[in-house]
Amino acid sequence: MIAQIPMNLFRLIVLLLLQVLLFSNMRFSIFVNPYVFPLFVLLLPFETPRWLLLFIGLGAGLLLDFFLGSWGMHGAACLFIGYARPFLINIITPKGTEFEVSPNLFAQGITWFSIYTTVTMLIYLTFYFVVEAGTFYNLFWLLLKIIGSTAVSVIFILILLYFFSARKKRKYA
Amino acid sequence: MYNLFRFIVRYYLLLLFLLLEFFCFYLIYRNSRFHQAAYSNTGNALSGRVYSTSQNVASYFYLRSISDSLVKENASLRARLQESLYDTRVDTGSVSDSSARRYVQSYSYIAAKVIRNSIVEPTNILYLDKGSAQGITKQMGVISPTGIVGQVVNVTEHYSAVMSVLSKDFKVSARFKKNDYFGYLRWDGIFPDEAILEDVPKHAPVKVGDTVVTSGYSQLFPRNVMIGVVKKVHAEPEKGFLDVSVRLTSDFGNLNYVYVVNNIRKEEMQQLDSVINPPKAH
Repeated sequence: MIAQIPMNLFRLIVLLLLQVLLFSNMRFSIFVNPYVFPLFVLLLPFETPRWLLLFIGLGAGLLLDFFLGSWGMHGAACLFIGYARPFLINIITPKGTEFEVSPNLFAQGITWFSIYTTVTMLIYLTFYFVVEAGTFYNLFWLLLKIIGSTAVSVIFILILLYFFSARKKRKYA
Repeated sequence: MYNLFRFIVRYYLLLLFLLLEFFCFYLIYRNSRFHQAAYSNTGNALSGRVYSTSQNVASYFYLRSISDSLVKENASLRARLQESLYDTRVDTGSVSDSSARRYVQSYSYIAAKVIRNSIVEPTNILYLDKGSAQGITKQMGVISPTGIVGQVVNVTEHYSAVMSVLSKDFKVSARFKKNDYFGYLRWDGIFPDEAILEDVPKHAPVKVGDTVVTSGYSQLFPRNVMIGVVKKVHAEPEKGFLDVSVRLTSDFGNLNYVYVVNNIRKEEMQQLDSVINPPKAH
């Protein structure tokens, strides 16, 4: 458990810099805002205690808030996916699967990871954009924004994972 | 008591989650984006430095469009030079005191570079690379070569934060160039090139394509700074006012250099205002 700390800390910093300096400046359209930062919460070790997930999620989110000037919004959304993560993993993982230490693209497989990332990002961005708008007034535009941003975020996350995941042989093909 | 204790132990995770979530919403509620930009100095100073470094690199990619806009602006300034004006005064030969000047400066401008910009948020805040050391204070207007940009909401020594026109809380009085009918301009919250002009009386002769400029009624901007052109006019039968949708001329997605408007006579105006509307005692 302790051995995982430096790697995760490093990942946190890299993702934070990527998000703040690169992805938050990518303006494809007002309906497409890519977010890759939640990947940090996605890749925390499976064995992380659930209460710790909440605090790490909250802390990471608030750190992003600090740089993007949106006090509490990313904190609330990251906390939410931190809370939802164990339930989600339980649902989408077949019974009896043995886990690596952390989620890994090549260990869990591309299908598993696509579902995992898509559902999490959908939850994250729905939560974030709804809180940000503070209203359902422009529901159609809001939905468009959520769907567009989720799709592009998932693509970016999978690309990042593909290039930066440790390539281990899959145990259960 | 025992049951309560058991309940807490059983659902401690959910309770902890709700508690932390509540804390987040408290933060959001207390520091709306506008207030955060307005009051948090530490955030500004630190993130301002990070953004100015990244902008330094990025600005090379925009050199062409910057020089284009500078050339255009030079041309429009050249047109205002004394040499390019015709003096219609007739010299009657009377002796005039040379110290009585005909024009007195009432606005000056501080050029600044945009080091962080956004157009996709509900309240968009720009960061500029000039601050109180260069004479910028809160509540100054900000304009670009093509139109109005926003209003300074916070300054540190070397940086300042500007609430852009693309913000829920931004409102400025605007008028039509061809006549003096005026209204209040605010962002419609969706598209970065569209705003709504409210409170224009129904009988005002407004057509699509009319030019909208600043009224000069607020102390933010001088009179006749470009805002946009009328895109659509909508009259609802039950309302006494028109809904005018305006296409903004400032390209908010592509701001590089802006000018902070320093209204030299602002204090005098505020003094006058405070006589008419005395500030409430706190």
